[in-house]
Amino acid sequence: MVAFVLPVAGLVFAGCVWAARSTAVPDLPSPLKTWHESKLYLLAPFTTRGEMDLGIGLLAYYSLFRVARGFLLGILIGAPLGFVLGLSPPSQRMLDPLIQVLRPISPLAWLPLGLVLFRKSEPAALFAIAVCSMWPTVINTMAGVRAIPQDYWNVAKVLRLSPPTTFLKIIIPATLPYMFTGFRLSLGIAWLVIVASEMLTGTPGIGGFLWQEYNSLIYAHILLAILTIGVVGFVLDRLMGLAEAKLRTV
Amino acid sequence: MTLIDVTSVSKTFWMGAGARHVLEDVSLKVERGEFVSIVGFMGCGKSTLLNIIAGLAPADTGTVRLGGKAVEGVLRGASIVFQNYSLLPWFSAIENVRLAVATAFPALTRAQQIEHARRALEKVGLGNSVDRRPSQLSGGMRQRVAIARAFATEPEILLLDEPFGALDALTRGNLQQELAGLCSERGRPVTTVMVTNSVDEALLLSDRIVPMTRGPRATLGTSVSVDIARPRSLAQLLHDEHAVHVRSYVVESLTDSVRRARRRRLTRVDDAPAGEALAALPRRSEA
Repeated sequence: MVAFVLPVAGLVFAGCVWAARSTAVPDLPSPLKTWHESKLYLLAPFTTRGEMDLGIGLLAYYSLFRVARGFLLGILIGAPLGFVLGLSPPSQRMLDPLIQVLRPISPLAWLPLGLVLFRKSEPAALFAIAVCSMWPTVINTMAGVRAIPQDYWNVAKVLRLSPPTTFLKIIIPATLPYMFTGFRLSLGIAWLVIVASEMLTGTPGIGGFLWQEYNSLIYAHILLAILTIGVVGFVLDRLMGLAEAKLRTV
Repeated sequence: MTLIDVTSVSKTFWMGAGARHVLEDVSLKVERGEFVSIVGFMGCGKSTLLNIIAGLAPADTGTVRLGGKAVEGVLRGASIVFQNYSLLPWFSAIENVRLAVATAFPALTRAQQIEHARRALEKVGLGNSVDRRPSQLSGGMRQRVAIARAFATEPEILLLDEPFGALDALTRGNLQQELAGLCSERGRPVTTVMVTNSVDEALLLSDRIVPMTRGPRATLGTSVSVDIARPRSLAQLLHDEHAVHVRSYVVESLTDSVRRARRRRLTRVDDAPAGEALAALPRRSEA
């Protein structure tokens, strides 16, 4: 009972604050106004009316598809890099300062570099997503390899497993739970980056929509986009959490 | 004929500024087909010695030779059973064994490897649990899987690191008997070095027992042969005259070593005169 009532109470409270603020700030649409202006997008989520005038489902789909590609690119680079760093202490000493410097750079800073490098907005967006989101995967994979118990290394030595077999049968399974924690954090960052990259490149998607509606002075749609981004991010995190929990029991 | 020849091995672990001299000038010869047990107190350096013999850890000084040739890396043709089982938790029992079979017999097809692994598990009484993960098995069953894995590669040498240390007394008794059976079942006996803190376990299984003095600076005492016909049983060993004699010899040399070590430690205290330190020893141990 409490488990259900308290979260709902929290949401109602936030709605009340929003409604109260909307009476004081003239440009902030009230919850009711937001609903009326968003109905069209929410109730027909997969219709196309114009280049950027799409149902909310389609907008989210475009963004998700872009995030999926950028995230995949990020972990395809990040996981192997993590293994290299975890298995070879010299490489870790060599690359650690570089990683510490690259890690805190904002997606807004990577995007112009991507545009310079690739001259097109789509690859630049993927570049920004990948390069921002890969770090948790790199660092968690590295930590996972370091945390492999000596027992397992001894098993590999005693059974005389070849290096590829050791990698496939011992190192990867032992590291997998750590890697998935990294994937989960990486996906969260990838979803954060999507808005910034779509805003700057003007590509169709939830972030591009948000920026366009701000320029068109339709503020209710900004709120719609914000709430959609939040809900989608929440669902993504929960899904990754489920996958992670499944691996934990191994 | 000597198969394993350990000559004056020493090992020191460095922890910060302090040094722990675990082994000092340890020598051991093991004949082909012989079952040798090293008996000593917990933490006296037995496992360190076994790891050095296995090639899992390097010795500071001294050599390990196999059939006259110096060993580089992990001992060839050896299987090891660890105290903590060391099974891979993401594989089923049969996959754990198959991993060992696959590298030991690369010529076998996948189906043959699985069959081989299944037979090894059946021999230790786990024919019905081959698809279970280690987490779904009891401690005794896990150690059975580890023993099956060790025997499945048909090793020339078997190294046992307190194989039953983590088990309850009843399970331990059963598994000891089964291990004795597995060791004698094969046409030629496997050369085995076991490390244990149980004199009775050593009596049950070995041809020869080597007491290990208490660390630091542990070394091996004079070994004693166990000339009792096989199969042996724990009940028989309680009364057998030779067994009683061997047991008292081993216990005596272990407790003697404690006494010596204590005396040595006390006399090393710099600001206390040696005589005073000796007088501090309990009277009973002086007798």
